[in-house]
Amino acid sequence: MTGGGAAGRKEGIFEREPARRVFAVELKESRIHFKEGQDEKSPTYVLLPTGERCNRVFIAGTLTEKRRQGEQNMFYRARVVDPTGTFFVMAGSYQPEAMQQVARLEPPTFVAVVGKPNVYQAPDGAALISIRCESITQIDKDIRDQWVLDTAKATLDRIDTAGQTPDGERAKREYNIDPALFRKVAYEALTQLKI
Amino acid sequence: MDISEAAERISQKITSHGHPADKASIESKLTRLVNEFGVPPAEAERTVLNELAREFSITTFQAAGGPGDQKTLGQVQNGEWVTVECKVVALTSAPSPSIAQAGILADNSGAMRFVVWARANAPALAAGKWYRFESAVVDQYKGMLSLKVHSGTTVTEIPHEGALKPAITPIRDLSPGVVCIRGKVVQEWEATHDRILQSGMIADETGGIRFVMWKEEGRERLSPGGVFTIFYATADEFNSRLSLTLNPATIVPEEGDIPVSTGNASFQGAFIHLAPGSGLIRRCPVEGCNRVLSRQNYCPVHEIQPQYHYDLRIKGWLDNGIETREILVQRGETERLVEMNLDQARELAENNPLGMDEVFMKFREALLGRYLACQGRVIENRMLVSACEILHYQPEQLADLLNRAGGSL
Repeated sequence: MTGGGAAGRKEGIFEREPARRVFAVELKESRIHFKEGQDEKSPTYVLLPTGERCNRVFIAGTLTEKRRQGEQNMFYRARVVDPTGTFFVMAGSYQPEAMQQVARLEPPTFVAVVGKPNVYQAPDGAALISIRCESITQIDKDIRDQWVLDTAKATLDRIDTAGQTPDGERAKREYNIDPALFRKVAYEALTQLKI
Repeated sequence: MDISEAAERISQKITSHGHPADKASIESKLTRLVNEFGVPPAEAERTVLNELAREFSITTFQAAGGPGDQKTLGQVQNGEWVTVECKVVALTSAPSPSIAQAGILADNSGAMRFVVWARANAPALAAGKWYRFESAVVDQYKGMLSLKVHSGTTVTEIPHEGALKPAITPIRDLSPGVVCIRGKVVQEWEATHDRILQSGMIADETGGIRFVMWKEEGRERLSPGGVFTIFYATADEFNSRLSLTLNPATIVPEEGDIPVSTGNASFQGAFIHLAPGSGLIRRCPVEGCNRVLSRQNYCPVHEIQPQYHYDLRIKGWLDNGIETREILVQRGETERLVEMNLDQARELAENNPLGMDEVFMKFREALLGRYLACQGRVIENRMLVSACEILHYQPEQLADLLNRAGGSL
């Protein structure tokens, strides 16, 4: 178990970074990003406000818009909406497969996205977060609904354990957001599902 | 082994041939070999005895080493000279002309393989009889102990009262050697070699182990799902995994059924990555190889193989948000998951300009983002999936989560 702590990374043993489940509202609030280790290939993380580091995310939602941009270095910008807000997804020439996948999709449709979150500084100083897409596939509503359950559970789990982990402490210091907010976000996301 | 005892044994042997023996000098030679040169005591004893034998031109020693302590098979260790009383429970064909007989010995404490060297001039052993082996040597090969009957070993048939009660070992606790187990045949695999009669997995409530039975007269396949008690099979280690060889074991079918655990783990999560090497693949046709060929039909061992055969599989990552696990799904479950069989996949590949890539893409569309529950054996963080289900939305989870999220609002 990686458990989301630095201790989860064992010396010399390659461990895949798990894909965290996070609602759009929470990811949007994330500004802290950092690198573990000095190596060029050391993984970079975004610190979620509920207190977990995150190198990769798995999201599901509705692809509402896609836009092709750039001439030489073409890339796609896409918006994926979950019950709480919007994820900004990018697929560029470094992710040719993902780019072809985006090209074939016609919004609106339910999609599942696996990718790496990146924090950017907007010209006005605000932090912007987007997901660099590793893969994007069309899914059905059943899977989207499973994802909402899964993500609500992951969010509640993070809120419940945040007090006991170094990342949890750090998130509390850095963000100054009441975790009850994300409990409410999870609740509201759940109420949109059918019983 | 105590050095002075060994010295005593040597001097007795020398004096019994009518030669003087200086026990102190023998002892100092032994001490020197053992302490200064790190020679194992049994080997040191042999060396010193041989040296004296040459000196006095003695050629008729019964035993080149000490007779060793009398032990049970469960007590003996690698490198020891021992005296044991045990039963010949199986004889196998001698693999080499220098071997007179080979097979398996057992007593109530355990069992091990044995070899009678052709030069041992030992009497022919009969299966089912008890013998006393004086001054036999125990050695080890691939972690398995084996008793060697050599020219210095005295073999005498002995009467024995009462039946031998072999101890059954739980599969989880198996280590290399001759073992008895009771288990159920839970899987049968395609033979990868024409000398294999049957291979598969046998399991009891503690775990599972792969088994192989080689073709041999009188051997019959084990019926899948059947429960068997297997006496004196050989567990050996290959690539740090144990495997059970059922020749020359005695196999007794049992009535009824037993609960089994096949070392099975289960893992649930979202399928987040389909790895290259998934979909329609071509395998090397060379018997026992079955490796996946590259695009140019190149097998890493057997080079170009135009007569490949097709297969379907899934390699990928399953992720529960905390942990990512690599999974490998064989053809049967793959066909069910992607709702495409091997023939359909071949047809798709043959009638499409992208060929096998088209199958890969269809797999990706069918699998990515799906929540799956997989069961299988885990080896080094990779799960060899034996059963896999696509999960669906469960409204009862919603009620639980709503309570949990709303409880403290």
